[in-house]
Amino acid sequence: MTATLAGINDLVIKLFFGQHADSAVGSGPGGTDNLFLFIWWVSVFFFVLLMGIMAYCMVVYRRKPGVPTERSASHNTPLEIAWSVIPSLLLAVMFFWGFDGYLKAQMAPSYAEQIELTGQKWNWSMVYSTGIGASEFTTLGSNSNVPIFYIPAGKPVRLKMSSADVLHAFWVPDFRTKLDVVPNRYTPYVFTANPIDRTGADERVATFQTKDGTTVYYRDHTVYCAEYCGDQHSEMMAVLRAVEPEFYYTWLNTPPYSSITPPVEVGQLVWKAKCSVCHTTDGGASTGPTWLNSYGYPREFANADPMTQAKIDADPLLWDNYIRESVINPGAKVRAGFQNAMPSFDGQLSPVELRGIIAYLRSLSDKNPNSKIEGFEDLEKEAAELEAAEGAE
Amino acid sequence: MTTVDRSHDHLGGHAGHHDEGSYLTPKYGPIATVWDWMTTVDHKKIGVMYLFAVLFMFFLGGVAALVLRTELLEPTRIVDGQVTGAALRPFVTGEVTPTSVGQLYNRVMTMHGAIMVFMFIVPGIPASLGNFFLPLMLGAKDVAFPRLNLASWYIYVFGSMFGVFSILQGGVDTGWTFYTPYSTTTAGQPQVIAMVLAAFILGFSSIFTGLNFIVTTHKLRAPGMGWFDMPLFIWAVYSTSIIQVLATPVIGITLLLLVFERVLQIGIFDPGLGGDPVLFQHFFWFYSHPVVYVMILPAMGIISDVLAVHCRKRLFGYRAIAFSSLAIAAISFLVWGHHMFTSQGELAAMIFSFLTFFVAIPTAVKVFNWIASLYKGSITFTTPMLYVFAFLFLFSIGGLTGLPLGTLSTDLHLHDSYFVVAHFHYVMFGGTVIAFLAGLHHWWPKMFGRMYNERGAQIGCLLVFVGFNVTFFTQFFLGTQGMPRRYASYVDEFHMLHMISTYGSYVLGLGFLVHLAVFVHSLFLGEKAPQNPWGGLTLEWETETPPIEHNFHEEPVVTHGPYDFDEVVPPGWDPKDYPLPAPAPAGSKH
Repeated sequence: MTATLAGINDLVIKLFFGQHADSAVGSGPGGTDNLFLFIWWVSVFFFVLLMGIMAYCMVVYRRKPGVPTERSASHNTPLEIAWSVIPSLLLAVMFFWGFDGYLKAQMAPSYAEQIELTGQKWNWSMVYSTGIGASEFTTLGSNSNVPIFYIPAGKPVRLKMSSADVLHAFWVPDFRTKLDVVPNRYTPYVFTANPIDRTGADERVATFQTKDGTTVYYRDHTVYCAEYCGDQHSEMMAVLRAVEPEFYYTWLNTPPYSSITPPVEVGQLVWKAKCSVCHTTDGGASTGPTWLNSYGYPREFANADPMTQAKIDADPLLWDNYIRESVINPGAKVRAGFQNAMPSFDGQLSPVELRGIIAYLRSLSDKNPNSKIEGFEDLEKEAAELEAAEGAE
Repeated sequence: MTTVDRSHDHLGGHAGHHDEGSYLTPKYGPIATVWDWMTTVDHKKIGVMYLFAVLFMFFLGGVAALVLRTELLEPTRIVDGQVTGAALRPFVTGEVTPTSVGQLYNRVMTMHGAIMVFMFIVPGIPASLGNFFLPLMLGAKDVAFPRLNLASWYIYVFGSMFGVFSILQGGVDTGWTFYTPYSTTTAGQPQVIAMVLAAFILGFSSIFTGLNFIVTTHKLRAPGMGWFDMPLFIWAVYSTSIIQVLATPVIGITLLLLVFERVLQIGIFDPGLGGDPVLFQHFFWFYSHPVVYVMILPAMGIISDVLAVHCRKRLFGYRAIAFSSLAIAAISFLVWGHHMFTSQGELAAMIFSFLTFFVAIPTAVKVFNWIASLYKGSITFTTPMLYVFAFLFLFSIGGLTGLPLGTLSTDLHLHDSYFVVAHFHYVMFGGTVIAFLAGLHHWWPKMFGRMYNERGAQIGCLLVFVGFNVTFFTQFFLGTQGMPRRYASYVDEFHMLHMISTYGSYVLGLGFLVHLAVFVHSLFLGEKAPQNPWGGLTLEWETETPPIEHNFHEEPVVTHGPYDFDEVVPPGWDPKDYPLPAPAPAGSKH
C-alpha cells in the first residue's frame, strides 16, 4: 500500500516536473516537492468530492416535468462550520510548511561558495572568487551563445545577485526556487546541486574530456530570466554546469585567458559572454548593429552633432575611441536606425577585455589594415615572391 | 411574489401607461434615434451600449491572444524579418525592420493584457449587465445619478480609445503591469505614461459606475425589499462598487508619481535617481489586487442568481454568500503583496501569505454553498445552467491551483511561470468570462426580447469549455516544468505542450464565433421571448420583455424573497405549469 502510494507520488512528480523530476536538489524531494504533493492530494480530494456531488445532483435532481421541487434546508449551521473550519486547518498546515521551506531556501551556511551574478539586458554574467567569468558557451532555444557557469556539485552555493539595469529574476527550475534580481540591491540565491552520480543511473549526467585527458562528469541545469525585461527576455538564459568539486577548483584557478592571449581571442570570448545577444558578427540583423565590416566605415548617427559625424567619417582611427565610448556610455552616439537600448558596461570590462573587443571588431572588418584586400591578389603574390627571393639570397 | 403583481392586467387597464413602449422601440427617425441613444440617460440603453463596447474590446483582446498563441506554436520566432508590411506598422517603432518585428510579440502581449484587464474584465459585468439589471432587480426606475451613468460610458469609450491608441503608437511593450524601471527607462516613456493615464481614465468611469450603484442600492430599493431580500447579484455588484471607489484613486497617485519622476527628476521608482523600483509594484498591486476582486465578485453574483433560477432552488446559505462578498471585498485590500513573494523580505512575505490564505476561506465557502444548492433542486440543462456547471468546474480548479501559489516555498518555483498564467486564466476566464456568458444567455431574452437558438448556444458552450481546458490545462504542466511567462521563444522540450495549447485556443475562438452567430441570429430572427422564460422570481422578470422605458408600470412591492421557488409561482407563469411542493409542515423553517 505504502509502496503503491509512493509509486503514484513519483508519477505525479514526473507528470508535473517532467525531466526535472529526479533532479530537484536540496529544495526538491523532502522539501517543496513533498509540500507540492500534499497540496496536490488536498486539491484532488476536494475537487473530486465537489465534482462528484455536482455530477450526482445533475443526474438525480434533473428537472422532471410535473414534479415539484423538494423542500430542503436553506442552511445548516454544523455543516457550514465544518466546511469553514476543516479547510482552514488544512490551509494553516500549508502556510506553516511553506513558510518553513521559504526560510530554509534563503539560508546558506557560512562556508557556502559565493559567486557574484549580474543580470543585464539580456544576459547573465558571473564573477567567481578568482575573478574569472564564463568562457564556454552552448545553444539553448534560439540563443546560440548561452554562457556555461561551473558550480561545485554537492556543495552549498550562494549567489550574490544584482541587476545592472531593470528587474530580472533568476530561476533554475531544477532547484525549485527563483528570486528577483534588482538594481541597487543585492539579493541571495541559495542552492546545493546534487552530487554527481557516476554509475550511469542518472540520464542527465554526461561527460567531456579536458585537454589533458581527464574525464569530467557533469550535469547541466538551465537558468531562465523570469521577470519580463524587454525585447530579448526569452533569450536571457544560462546553464549551470554542476561538476565534481575537485574539477571545479581546478577550473576556478585556471583563467580562460591571460595577458599574453591574443587580443582577438579575448575579444571573441567577451563578445560571446556579453555582446552576442544584440550584436551579430555575421552580418545578421539583431537589436544592435552587426560587427561585420563595421570598423572603419563611415557611420551615420541618429543623435551626434554634425561636427562629430564629420570627424568619424574622415578619420577611421577615431573608431577605437568610439568603441570605448559606446561600451561605457552607449547613448552618446546611437547609430541611425537603431534604438538607444544598450546598457552601460562601465566597470564591467578589464582593460585587457576592452582591448580585446576593439581588436576583435577590427578583425571582422575588411578595412582592417591586416586583412586581405580584394583586387590586390596579384600584388600580394608578387610581394611574396620577392620576399621568398630575398630569403633565398 | 412577488410583487403584488399588477403588471398582467396593465393592457388597457392603466390609463397613461398603455402607450409606453419597449425601451428598444425607436420613437424617431434613424438619425434622431442615434442621437437619442447617444444622449440617453436610460440605464438600460447605457447598459446595452456598454455591452457592445466591452464585447468589442473582448474581440480585440481575443485576436491579440490568438496572435500570441500562433507565435508560440513553434519554439523559435515565427514572425521574423520575412514578414513585411504595413500590417505590422502599428506595433513597431519607426520603420519595419527585422529587429523591430522581433518586438512584435511583446507589444501584442501587452495589448492582450491591457485590453482584457482594463477595458474588458474590470468594467465588463458591472457596467453592462449590472447597469441593465441592478435598477430592475431593485425595482427602481433608473440608477440614482443617470447623467453620471452616461458620463461614465463616454469616459470609458474615451479611455479605451486613448489606451488602444497609445499602444498602437508603438513603444508600449511592458506587459500590462508596467513594472519600473523597465517601463520608465527603456520603453517609449511617453506611451507608457499615456497607457497608465488610460488605466486611470478607465478607473474613473469605474468610480462613477460604482458610486451610482452604491447610492442606488442604498436609496432606491423597492418597498418591502430589505437588505436580505436583495438578489445575490446585487450584493456582489454592491461589494464590487465599494472596491472600485476605494482602490481606483491609488492608480491615480501612482500615475502622478510617475509623471513627477519624469518631469521633475525626483527619484521615486528609478534607481538611477535614488528611487526604489520595487515601490512601484507595491503601488500597482495595491490597486490591481483589489481590482482582481472587481473582476470576480460580479461573476459570483451572476452564478448565484442563475443557479437558483435554473434549479428552482432556494440558495443554500444566502447570508453566508452575501457576507462572504463583503469579507472578500475587505480582505482584498490586504493581500497585494502576494504578487511579490520573490521580491520582498521574509516578514512581508509571511504576512501576505497568511492573509492570502485568509481570503481563500470565504471563496471556498461560496463554492460549497453553490454545490450544496444543487441538492434537491430541479436542474435544467439550458445554456446558462451549462455555463454554471462549467464555472463550478473551472473556478474550482482555478481556486485550488491558487493554493501552491499562496504557499511561500512552492510559489518560489511557480511564480512568473506558465502555472501562474494558467491559474489566473482559470479564475478570470473560467470564472468571470464563463459567468458573463451564463448571465448573458440568462438575461439576453429580457434585454432584447428575443430567444436565442438553444442548440446552437449549447454547441458554443461545449466548444468554449473544451477549447478552454485544452488551452490552459496544458499550461499548468508547462509552468511546473519550467516555462517562464512572457517568452516569445522557448526551448524544444516545451514544444508539444505549447502546440496542444495553441490548437486548444483555436477551438476556443471557434466557440466564440458560434456564440456570435447565435446572438446575431437571435437579434434578427429569434423567436419572441416570453416575459419570464426561466421562471425567475426577482423583479426584472415582473416587467415586460423587453422592459418598458420606465421599467415598471407601477412601482413594484416586494412580498417574497428572491429565491422562494417552493412558495411562489413565478410572474408570468400559469400555476398549472408550475407545481409547488406541499406546504411546509407548521413550525418548520426553511
